Amino acid sequence: MIVSNSDILKFFENVKNDFDIFIPYASELDEDNLSYKKFSNNKEFIINKYRTIDPVKTLLYLPSERVLPVNPKVPKRIIVGVKNCDLRALEVLDAALLKDNFVEPNYKVWRDNTYIISADCTEALSTCHCVLLDFPPYPEKTEDVSCSYDLNLIKVDDNYLITVGSKKGEELLELIKKYCSVRDASPEEKNKIEAQHAEIRKKLADINSDFSPDRKYDVISDNKDEATWKELSAECVECGGCTNICPTCYCIILNDESEKDCFKKVRTWDSCQLSGYARVAGGDSPRAKLWERFRNRYQCKFNIMEQNFSKSGCTGCGRCISTCPAGIDLREVIQSLQEV
Amino acid sequence: MPKVDALDLTNLNPYDVLKADVLDVITESPTIKTFRIKPEKPFEFVTGQFVELTVPGIGEAPFTPSSSHYEKEEMDITIMKVGFVTEAVHRVKRGDVLGIRGPYGKGYPLDKFKGKDVLILGGGVGLAPLRCLLLTLIHDIDDYKSITICFGARTPEDLIYKNQFDDWRKYDKIHILRSVDMIPEGQKWDEKVGVVTVLLDDIKINTKDAVAVACGPPIMMKFGTFALVDKGFKDENIYLSMEKKMYCGFGQCRHCVIGKYYACKDGPVFTYDVIKDEEKIWE
Ligand SMILES: Cc1cc2nc3c(=O)[nH]c(=O)nc-3n(C[C@H](O)[C@H](O)[C@H](O)COP(=O)(O)OP(=O)(O)OC[C@H]3O[C@@H](n4cnc5c(N)ncnc54)[C@H](O)[C@@H]3O)c2cc1C
Ligand code: SF4
Ligand code: SF4
Repeated sequence: MIVSNSDILKFFENVKNDFDIFIPYASELDEDNLSYKKFSNNKEFIINKYRTIDPVKTLLYLPSERVLPVNPKVPKRIIVGVKNCDLRALEVLDAALLKDNFVEPNYKVWRDNTYIISADCTEALSTCHCVLLDFPPYPEKTEDVSCSYDLNLIKVDDNYLITVGSKKGEELLELIKKYCSVRDASPEEKNKIEAQHAEIRKKLADINSDFSPDRKYDVISDNKDEATWKELSAECVECGGCTNICPTCYCIILNDESEKDCFKKVRTWDSCQLSGYARVAGGDSPRAKLWERFRNRYQCKFNIMEQNFSKSGCTGCGRCISTCPAGIDLREVIQSLQEV
Repeated sequence: MPKVDALDLTNLNPYDVLKADVLDVITESPTIKTFRIKPEKPFEFVTGQFVELTVPGIGEAPFTPSSSHYEKEEMDITIMKVGFVTEAVHRVKRGDVLGIRGPYGKGYPLDKFKGKDVLILGGGVGLAPLRCLLLTLIHDIDDYKSITICFGARTPEDLIYKNQFDDWRKYDKIHILRSVDMIPEGQKWDEKVGVVTVLLDDIKINTKDAVAVACGPPIMMKFGTFALVDKGFKDENIYLSMEKKMYCGFGQCRHCVIGKYYACKDGPVFTYDVIKDEEKIWE
């Protein structure tokens, strides 16, 4: 289904009172950084391009949130411009938080009330490396990958090609049709999209040409050598930035804010990079040393989440690389472990 | 038997807390107290499972009930003062209100203990969760071949449940061995002196076919397990309580992860064969 740029804008205009619409805008401090903001029509939003600096989890699994009593009513939302790396991350979060015998109440409420309109990447940042994980820079629905988007937008000329990813997406498309005229994509448009896909893949391959895509992840768990890991983590200042910014990290602490028998619990993101994370009373910790915690993050992303959910805990978004004040590049860490 | 399945949290708020009135506070030792609480509703659990106890406005921590799982109206929890939350618990008095949620984790597979010699190895406050098991086993004592309790404490004064051992000794099938690490001046002791593993030299059961259940401080867990293996217990018959840092209790917060396992929902009790190859299990 093809819809024009201007019609999409019209759609947002018309439904902005019924939905909280979040959409990427360039940051005022650095125009290369995109960040989700509430839709407003007096600034140019950016649907495609590349990932935002803030992972989509910040809107669905908030940095700090009261979980008891649970917030019963949340606004209906549409998040636009979610990239494939974040869709993959949502699959991990869904696997962790919406299980057969346990459902995280707040995440569920936000998830149920949010429509995800994803978009293809048309450019890439120097830290983007989805291709090293064999993920394309655009959502791709196949038999084994469900890809949690409701609708996806692909830019072709001054239009968007809309594809439907879910039942919720079908509903949303009906609503879009009320405000937009739609038509089928032409063969030329389809060819153009294929060429665009090839082009962005090529770009990502070039960005990552120093790194081998056939990385082995067992080396992370297998390598217990203190000297190796100490060297890899030598510059780490233990800020926890890499885990907070990671779209699949969901560790939390629970705080109690009860007043007498009116019980209140607040959950807040935590980071396995911080020394108190696994420390028990008495001071013992399974990962007392920084290099052990540093290694744990790699194990968690690449070995443990794979065992827990049959999914990679890393989606190649590169946010941890962009954010690290010590300049640690996850790709380099994994590469150098291959060579040990 | 109450139901053993993990709690189904699909349709409830997993963080939900039940109000629990404090009926009594018993001082067990200078650092350990037992709290008798009455949850607002009967509370079903299976020995081996644990609860999260809320001190309103202060925080929450995981504890294993120390009363039998056949008692549903009231519950004992025995708590050692070691830090922020536990210090606050120790200030709680009769008539105060606490909160509990759970139960979490898996219970002991009691069916596998039936007809066997059961050895209980506890150190310090580690005897608390094991008392829950012991009282449950006593309730069905005919089902088990024998129960041997090896219990160690730092000093005679640190021994918990001081007055209850005589009750347990009345059973022919129960054998009690106790040790203390040292006897400070002014304290009396006429049983063994030494770390708790020395008691294993005196056990009189066929270890090849027996089950052992251990709970205690990390150092005891490590050397206790090695000693049990040494005495002939099979890895798959050694049940270890893995008390890791926990917040949620149901596999969300990830703090208790041991390799691919969660101490909270896959444990907190693991047999040694399952976790022996995971990293850093003793810390
Ligand atoms: C399954 C299980 C069963 C247990 N059963 C028993 C039992 O029967 N009896 C018993 O005595 N003990 C038991 N324990 C141990 C008990 O849970 C700990 O002693 C208790 O958690 C210590 O809490 P604390 O706050 O007093 O100690 P602290 O040392 O103050 O805290 C322990 C950790 O919690 C964190 N923490 C403390 N307060 C806060 C806060 N306000 N906000 C955020 N983080 C905080 C700290 O970072 C610290 O690393 C059990 C533990 C487990 C896992
Ligand atoms: S580990 Fe780094 S690159 Fe991988 S998903 Fe997390 S933030 Fe992105
Ligand atoms: S962002 Fe960098 S410095 Fe901060 S904890 Fe992660 S690896 Fe260490």
